[in-house]
Amino acid sequence: MGGQRKSSSLRESFLNELSPASSVPEIEELRVRYLGKKGLLTAELKNLGGLPPEQRREAGAALNETKEFIEQALARRKQELKELELRRKLASESIDITLPGSHVRPGHMHPVTQTLEEITDVFVSMGFSVEEGPEVELDYYNFEALNIPKEHPAREMQDTFYVSSDVVLRTHTSPVQVRVMQRKSPPLKFIAPGKVYRCDADISHTPMFHQIEGLMVGEDITFSNLKAVLEALLHRIFSPDVPVRFRPSYFPFTEPSAEVDIGCIFCKGTGCRTCKGSGWIEILGAGMVNPHVFEMVGYDPKQYSGFAFGMGIERITMLKYSIDDIRLFFENDIRFLGQF
Amino acid sequence: MRISFGWLSEFIKPGLSVEKIAHLLTMSGLEVEALETTPNNDVIMEVNVTPNRADCLSILGVVRELSVLTGAQVTLPPARIKTEAETAGPQIKVEIRNPELCRRYSGRVVRNLSIGPSPEWMARRLEDYGIRSINNIVDITNYVLIELGHPLHAFDLNTLKGGRIVVDTADNIYRQIKTLDGVERKLAGNALIIADAEGPVALAGIMGGASTEVEESTTDIFLEAAWFEPVNIRKTAKAFGLSSESSYRFERGADIEIIPYALDRASFLIQELAGGSPGEPVDVYPGKRAVPRCIEVSAARISRLIGTDISREDATGILERLGFAPVWSDSVITSFPPSYRLDVEAEADIVEEVARIYGYDRIPTALPASRLSVPEAMAKMNFVRAARQSVRRSGYSEAINFSFMNPLALDMLSLPPEDARRSAVSLINPLKQEESLLRTTLLPALIENLRHNLQRDLKDIMLTESARVFIKRKKGEQPEERLMLSGISMRNSTYSFWRNGKDEFYAAKGAVEALFDGLRIQDRSFSPSQEPFLHPGKSAEVFISGRRCGFVGVLSPAVREKAEIKGKEEITVFELDLDIIFENLPRASVYRPVPKFPAVERDIALVVDDAVSAAEVIRRIKDYPSKLIESAAVFDLYKGDGIPSGKKSMAFNIRYRAQDRTLTEDEVEQVHEGLIKDLLVHTGGNLR
Repeated sequence: MGGQRKSSSLRESFLNELSPASSVPEIEELRVRYLGKKGLLTAELKNLGGLPPEQRREAGAALNETKEFIEQALARRKQELKELELRRKLASESIDITLPGSHVRPGHMHPVTQTLEEITDVFVSMGFSVEEGPEVELDYYNFEALNIPKEHPAREMQDTFYVSSDVVLRTHTSPVQVRVMQRKSPPLKFIAPGKVYRCDADISHTPMFHQIEGLMVGEDITFSNLKAVLEALLHRIFSPDVPVRFRPSYFPFTEPSAEVDIGCIFCKGTGCRTCKGSGWIEILGAGMVNPHVFEMVGYDPKQYSGFAFGMGIERITMLKYSIDDIRLFFENDIRFLGQF
Repeated sequence: MRISFGWLSEFIKPGLSVEKIAHLLTMSGLEVEALETTPNNDVIMEVNVTPNRADCLSILGVVRELSVLTGAQVTLPPARIKTEAETAGPQIKVEIRNPELCRRYSGRVVRNLSIGPSPEWMARRLEDYGIRSINNIVDITNYVLIELGHPLHAFDLNTLKGGRIVVDTADNIYRQIKTLDGVERKLAGNALIIADAEGPVALAGIMGGASTEVEESTTDIFLEAAWFEPVNIRKTAKAFGLSSESSYRFERGADIEIIPYALDRASFLIQELAGGSPGEPVDVYPGKRAVPRCIEVSAARISRLIGTDISREDATGILERLGFAPVWSDSVITSFPPSYRLDVEAEADIVEEVARIYGYDRIPTALPASRLSVPEAMAKMNFVRAARQSVRRSGYSEAINFSFMNPLALDMLSLPPEDARRSAVSLINPLKQEESLLRTTLLPALIENLRHNLQRDLKDIMLTESARVFIKRKKGEQPEERLMLSGISMRNSTYSFWRNGKDEFYAAKGAVEALFDGLRIQDRSFSPSQEPFLHPGKSAEVFISGRRCGFVGVLSPAVREKAEIKGKEEITVFELDLDIIFENLPRASVYRPVPKFPAVERDIALVVDDAVSAAEVIRRIKDYPSKLIESAAVFDLYKGDGIPSGKKSMAFNIRYRAQDRTLTEDEVEQVHEGLIKDLLVHTGGNLR
């Protein structure tokens, strides 16, 4: 019975000493004090030999149990203290996580570029390729090959910058149509994005702006196709439920020609300042390629038909972002650019 | 073209509101841009008449169109006059010397009329059109012009010399005319002239002469109605910088067959409003009545181009209402468009007429059934996008500027006369002098953008632009167009976190290097730049694959001063030729085995003269004849305590590796010792 009593008093004194221990070295000290070579419990174990055999077994079992208890308690406490210490250390290392990150702040793409790329991507996903042409263009490509001879009244539709009598700043991206058709045979479908120039400047006109031209030529291309492709585009760019309407118009290089309107996105068609009360906003020009244009590039208009379209990117961007002055695009104020 | 609803209603009564009519017209090609109520309580439709539809530049034209759309009958305004040939006296004799330019010339003498003010209804109507009422005769010619679209002119008969009219080009015969606007004009070349026995009395189809002007004292007139060739009128009007309601219509093509009616209509109004006795008309029409054009088109072709089946009934009905008198034979329709539809010339025009009257909104949509084709690579587009995005990620926002350049910008950059960027294309008709050249560099615009932002007290301005520049070849030829990518940066905020504040040059160079890294361009180098607008000690020419592709550097203080940019922070700029970079893009990577054996690293700190560049040292290390040197990089630069002035300490990390074994310390040591000796000899430096 003496062994058991010894065990429980050891356990009691151990627990009394453990509770104030607050560091890993103190725990180590305790371990040595109880379980070391000269430890209190070790000494008791050594004393077991002096007990009568019948008491020895019982007292031995009790002491071993106590030893195990102490070992576990020490280990548990040590782990607790380690975690506590780590927490303290980490807490002391705290920084202000609300300060800004240290990466390079990226700049912003110009909204016109963003719209241009968005439209380009819609056409590319429909299988159109992307073509380019010179911005300083021959009169021939800008006008004559597009069925606009010199002295044609349609030249008045576009105020032209001249470099010489035969060289102009292209007034539209349409000359790319002619250049590509001269180079490639049908069928073809491509778009031509780029800068164009008109000798004109006021609140809604700048002397330079961006257009995307498109052309699709094949053996059975119809006006119906034109309607479907442009409707798909406008639904993607604006919203799938924006109304789209086609009305007859005139471009020398297309026939039939159409202006395409979308339902005013500001007033939803009830009439406002932007749509001049009509409920509709003119968004692009299009039509079936005029057979004269095909003849100029050596395509047989009896075999091939095609559609062409052209749209102003600034205009579309203004509608997308509710921008009311086209000149903002070219001031390059960082407070403007930073919004896109 | 302004179209009065009240006036229009005298011709046709479709029983529709003006809004409904505006909608119908808009949806068939005559866009009504606005409706305006006049002070005289009429409604004016502002109709956008496209250049091909000269026939719609009148009340009558829009009425005809409305009749096609609604089927309502047209009532022509009265034109029956009482001719009194006996009292009309001698006629004017007309001679057309140039029948290609004047295909028809008609006229009528009206005597004993009383010039006076127009009645109020006419004056009001003209006023609604912004035309000032002058006197009843002049007003009538203007009235008929708007009503029927055919220009008329009234001469004071008593000032016409010799009782004759000659139509001829100016050439060398006619030298000068004073037009109604009081301007003396020199005549030459192909300008078509109306002359009397003594000299010019009008610029045909454009403006009358002052000498024969109808005035308060006028009692007899000669009223002209003619047809002039469009291109000639346009050229002459342009040459004189003179555009009139009359020339506007002749340029676009007037209706040659309406002439007798127009003449009668005006004469009728004169009789009504000014009295007088009209004589028998003269009508010189050398080619006689134009044979109607006949255009054949198959019904299948119409449906195929439009993309939906248009029934025979629909097509016939449309063409009949248009006055095209369609005739069917088998499946081919032959159309005979009326004289006023000069724009209808070929098959496509017939298709368009059918489609627009049928209604574009009734044509169903159908995506094209297209065969797949070999996709185009679009490498250039993707490259340009990647380049722009890289610069954006380095902190630059994208600017877009006009392609124009101020000639003074070239001086601001101190470009020498032989610099290619001096070869700028100039515009014949710039909007302003500051925009009279095409850009040869994007820099001036970016400097201007920087200044704009600074003036608004904005900080940390980093802008980039990618656009074409234009280098002149020969005069009058198309210039060379090159795609450039440029940037400007001024980081002047004192309140930015994490700013290391070191040399701004390296930030700009870093943007260029990031671009190259993204494009996997390893073969690149930088050497001191001679650009006159850059800081000579903080600027570099950029080379890839040995080709110069641009520059990067700090803007020189001299340029800053000229550009009037305040502040002390450095401004960095760069400009790269994207076309050159695109041509020198590396080919796709080929896999090299990953090393199997470990590398050994050694560092060297060298104290060398300031003039020795890191690139020189690295080149020397790489050229050292040992296969074991895998790479070398500079990792520290130090000047200051412990380093003599005029010198600097640079530290390099060198990595040794063998492909077939693990290197021993001894092996590495041997090579490294040799390398150090070599570097000390070549750089004249010491170990630190």
